[in-house]
Amino acid sequence: MASRSALNILSGRTAQQPLGVGLSAMRDPDEELVRRVGDGDKRAAVELVRRHLPRMVGLARRMLGDRAEAEDVAQEVFLRVWKHAGSWQPGQAKFETWMHRVAMNLCLDRLRRSGRQGGEVSPETPDARASATRALDDRQRRERVRDALQSLPERQRAALVLCYYQDRSNIEAAEILGISVDALESLLSRARRTLKSALSAERADLLSGLETG
Amino acid sequence: MNEARFIELLGVYGAEFSRWPDDDRGDAEAFLEVAPHRIKDIWESERAFDHLLALEKDMPASISLETRVLSASMEKRTKRRPISAFGKWRVPQWMTGGAIAASLALGFAVGYAGESPQPSDGEYAKMLTVSGGGAGSMFISAMNDAER
Repeated sequence: MASRSALNILSGRTAQQPLGVGLSAMRDPDEELVRRVGDGDKRAAVELVRRHLPRMVGLARRMLGDRAEAEDVAQEVFLRVWKHAGSWQPGQAKFETWMHRVAMNLCLDRLRRSGRQGGEVSPETPDARASATRALDDRQRRERVRDALQSLPERQRAALVLCYYQDRSNIEAAEILGISVDALESLLSRARRTLKSALSAERADLLSGLETG
Repeated sequence: MNEARFIELLGVYGAEFSRWPDDDRGDAEAFLEVAPHRIKDIWESERAFDHLLALEKDMPASISLETRVLSASMEKRTKRRPISAFGKWRVPQWMTGGAIAASLALGFAVGYAGESPQPSDGEYAKMLTVSGGGAGSMFISAMNDAER
């Protein structure tokens, strides 16, 4: 696929690196807002928080599986925003991509420090197979999806969270993770296969619901 | 776009074409239009799986978190403010102390004279939940108060 070869040079950066350096330059919807935050505009700070805080919490919650810990990460991301907004260099990177990379690095650091690696996908049990015949409500399904996500290895989970839940493009997600798009696609493919296996009962239930509905 | 490539990308990005690479999206949509039923069934099945994954939705950030995050921005700005109101002028320490003591005394006096009724817990709750208010407006008023 086009424009993938240049992505590998982006690997290995950390959240401490200068804001905006090296990431793909695209039209940035946050540019004006970040400039105003850097100038001390209070309303801009409120707007920036409203725009991005829920997504940062969502990313961290899916990566860490814990709401309180996710809020700590989101708060840490914004501490860095307040610190660096004044030195933001427009035109070099999308601000939201930078925020995602900071949040993702903070999550991966926490996972490594705590020794939580994931990767233990619970095999489908006879109970789970039997449950395919009973109708599950959305809440139960959601809980199962959450559990299955948490059981993915962290790199697979990171790729899936960025592309499926944070709506990052494949190129952006690869940049955030510091890998090539090919490597990202490999992670996504394995993650999707693993989830399908872990959620086979729920999937069958959903499909039968669609057929009968 | 051929069948093998379509199936490969379907297994990576799922049925939602907006996630597919820009270079492949248009071709994939055109391919699906004329694809045999077998391929359309596979795509439908992947779409159902996407619906399942989408049940894990974002939740709104709590007001307390918004407030904490915004307070941190206020602290950051407060720390950057110059300490001396007299700029480069050197003021003797006793004079600074005297000015602080005098302003404290004046503050107490004014406070006793014009004490206003305190909002009840219910009123605070209303401030946090009223439409268009919430942590954002509380934050702005807090910052304005701090700067007065």
